[in-house]
Amino acid sequence: MMEAQGEKIREVARRLLEQDRVDVVIGFEKGSLPLRASPVFVRTVAETHRLIWDCFCENNLARYLTRIDDHRVAIVAKGCDSRAIVALMAERQIPRERLTIIGVPCQRMVDRRKAAAAVHGEILAARCQDSNLDVEGRDFRRSLPRDAFLYLSCRLCTHRNPVIHDVLIGDPVEESTLNEPPSLRLERCSDHQRWAVFSQTVSSCVRCFACRQACPMCYCQECFVDASTPSWIGRGTDPSDIQMWHIVRAFHMAGRCVACGACERACPMEIDLFTMLEKLNRDVKELFAFEAGISADTTPPLGTHDPDDPGDFIL
Amino acid sequence: MIPVEKTIENPYLPMPATVERTFIETADRMIKTVELSLARSKDQAHFHFVPGQFCQISVFGKGEAPFGIASSPTETGPLRFTVNKAGVVTTAIHHLEIGDAVGLRGPLGHGYPIDRFEGKNIVIVSGGFAFTTQRALVAMMLDQNNRSRFGEITVIYGARTPGLLLYRDELRTWEQRDDLKTYLTVDQRDDTWGGLEGFVPDIVVQVAPSSANACAIVCGPPIMIRLTFPRLVQLGFGPDHIYTSLERRMKCGIGKCGRCNLGHLYVCKEGPVFSYARLQTLPRED
Amino acid sequence: MTMKKIRKEDLKRRVEDLLETWQVFAPVWKEGMVEITEIDDPATMSLDGPPPRIPPKRLFFPQSEVLFHYAKDTRGVEIDSDPEVARRRVVLGVKPCDAHALSLLDCVFNGDRYQDPYYLKRREQTVVVALGCDEPALTCFCSSMESGPFSRKGADVFLTDIGAAYVVEVLTPKGHQLFEPSRLEDASPENLEKAKEREEAAQKTISSHVERAGLVDKLDEMAESVLWKYIHEKCIGCGVCTFLCPTCHCFDMVDEGDEAVGQRVRNWDSCQFPLYTLETSGRNPRPSGRERLRQRVMHKFNYFVKSFGQPACVGCGRCIIHCPVNLDVRRVIEAIWTAQ
Repeated sequence: MMEAQGEKIREVARRLLEQDRVDVVIGFEKGSLPLRASPVFVRTVAETHRLIWDCFCENNLARYLTRIDDHRVAIVAKGCDSRAIVALMAERQIPRERLTIIGVPCQRMVDRRKAAAAVHGEILAARCQDSNLDVEGRDFRRSLPRDAFLYLSCRLCTHRNPVIHDVLIGDPVEESTLNEPPSLRLERCSDHQRWAVFSQTVSSCVRCFACRQACPMCYCQECFVDASTPSWIGRGTDPSDIQMWHIVRAFHMAGRCVACGACERACPMEIDLFTMLEKLNRDVKELFAFEAGISADTTPPLGTHDPDDPGDFIL
Repeated sequence: MIPVEKTIENPYLPMPATVERTFIETADRMIKTVELSLARSKDQAHFHFVPGQFCQISVFGKGEAPFGIASSPTETGPLRFTVNKAGVVTTAIHHLEIGDAVGLRGPLGHGYPIDRFEGKNIVIVSGGFAFTTQRALVAMMLDQNNRSRFGEITVIYGARTPGLLLYRDELRTWEQRDDLKTYLTVDQRDDTWGGLEGFVPDIVVQVAPSSANACAIVCGPPIMIRLTFPRLVQLGFGPDHIYTSLERRMKCGIGKCGRCNLGHLYVCKEGPVFSYARLQTLPRED
Repeated sequence: MTMKKIRKEDLKRRVEDLLETWQVFAPVWKEGMVEITEIDDPATMSLDGPPPRIPPKRLFFPQSEVLFHYAKDTRGVEIDSDPEVARRRVVLGVKPCDAHALSLLDCVFNGDRYQDPYYLKRREQTVVVALGCDEPALTCFCSSMESGPFSRKGADVFLTDIGAAYVVEVLTPKGHQLFEPSRLEDASPENLEKAKEREEAAQKTISSHVERAGLVDKLDEMAESVLWKYIHEKCIGCGVCTFLCPTCHCFDMVDEGDEAVGQRVRNWDSCQFPLYTLETSGRNPRPSGRERLRQRVMHKFNYFVKSFGQPACVGCGRCIIHCPVNLDVRRVIEAIWTAQ
């Protein structure tokens, strides 16, 4: 099915470029490593052959939309990516009229690190089939069940189908109901235990800001960590600075995060960034009946004030 | 690996220094001169510099920033720095009071190539508050022990308005001297101004200093430098006879933190003085 | 130099002895990835695993370190700094690419005009024991970068795994502090044959090559090329490549504390961050990702070569593996070569 989707994406891209309806198609091409695909910017019909679709197309391409200037852009968007597009529209960051959204019902993405850890030796080649992930190394060849090697964010995903699209690539897929969210386990812990889990989780952070840069919703011209007057937090590896970075970023995401998992996928230290965001998303849903990136007309709850806000949790 | 000396000097440690004098230079109060003396006599004894070099001034708790040395090595007394209030460190410097303790690292970088200036006519072209190290150079050349080593000295210096010129009292004395020619200009005159009016690059064309046996040193905002270089070339100055001093965001000041490079050269270490000829071989980074 | 050998159990015993007075660092598995960390038990060492996520440059150039403390009052200011390293240190199981990287960092921190005492004292006090890399990955292109899976550069001692033992080459006087060669068994001709086989096999495994002959000139030609706009396009501007790179050395300096008491700290910084070159006036000589990515590539393959005669890249592949968007520096160099 993914092969067919890839073919359809190429066909759509060709048509859009031939008819001069867009200046660039942002999609994915084959990566330079097994288990990778890589964002690609296609501007000519001749280049459209580069576009692919597989279970390694893990990036949220919407993060490029806040710097498209005045170009007309077509963008390949999975369910979560399309939510990011909607969330950016709700925040008036991108012009709908210059976007052609190539929505792709998502088969869910493979966690390349999990796959690599499941075998002994380097994976030299990998192919994603619909229900299997075939991997090959110097002395092994295995067919892994794809469903056991998905990203956490994909396992929990309830929006695999794009919430907005101009073209839909393939048939819609069945949405799964929300599995037990990982943060529930944390809710059952005491404050001390939660702090211990959090501080331990982020302790290996190297302040590379890949999480921030990969996130489509982190588009501030000046991030708070770069401010010097005042200097809000230090830029080193003092644990309190690392903890503050993650806490503040998570709170800046509350009500805005579309649960795409781009942050955890980008993190070179494999920090579980997703669970704390998942928790905040659930809190926002509970408190404000709001989920980011579903409707472009609703302002995010933490960016607005309404006298009828359910404020019973405020003292 | 090169064997390490038993005691390496630590180039990151500031020398303690004291604020001796502060003086507001400009009418908008944005530019202030501070004069600092090194607190320890051994530091004073070892501090030898060439005009064009800079120091990193530390305001402890706020940070450190680079400033060209505006005093001449021929002048005894504290080191002069002229600071534009723009950010955290410069604002802190503006708030310094006489007697405050600060830190100083330097002299850093390479200064003007005085050996190449020997026997030559020197043309100084300057704009705004970039004038600092050029003032140091002129003061050094005018010193009675040095004057005969150099030919004619021409200074073309301009600012947006008269109130923004630095060292106005001293400039007035220079205008009275007969061993240098001083052309002061402003973009916008006012009632007090009796001098030239016009942008510095245009005044350069107007004054048309001779390029015969001459070197030019151009400092100022990037746009001024970009416009002045070709005009000097047109007047006959070869790019290897035109010098400038560059500015970049700096931290270590000693070519290790990596940020101020222009190609393979560090503005803090191989610079900040570069010839136009050299710049033409380096990447263009506007 | 006679080649020596040490049985693996004897190396463990040597480590146990060392632990009494030395600090011992070695690769260990931690939460699914290899990390070089201080150990107190040689059984935790994992010498034949993949390279550590963060290279051992961290032991010499930590991500955050205090340059000095200051204390100011009405009488003046006192500045207090102590870059001394109390105990001798040994780091075992360093991949040859990472060891070579240290010799590149030496060029930067041990300059003729200025020397960095923080880095250099640590270097002086640390014995680097490299271990020949038997399993280069798809992303390893060390052989193209004047290094290789069995490169001896940067190491004080070089070990080759021959099964139950290591062949030992003590390369520097510092290496003698760790292994006095006269107290080690000589390696037999069979041992040496085995070691040679391992080395040759590893070199043959390197499948990734980068063409470097003439690259400096080609990059000079391409400096203003429009190609950089296309190359940088998918870069998201994070610092993964620079922070995981064994030769990247850029840092920031900040004061922490208040005007009376505090410290000046240095932290790793990245040329990929816009703030890196941003001037207080707002002017930025590298205003977009295009200039910043170009700076990184030029620095590694052109500027450093002009300054020190060798590239500032050891072909370890970390930037390729961990780049969130799979921006592959080898592809960048290929594009440079094939561009008009």
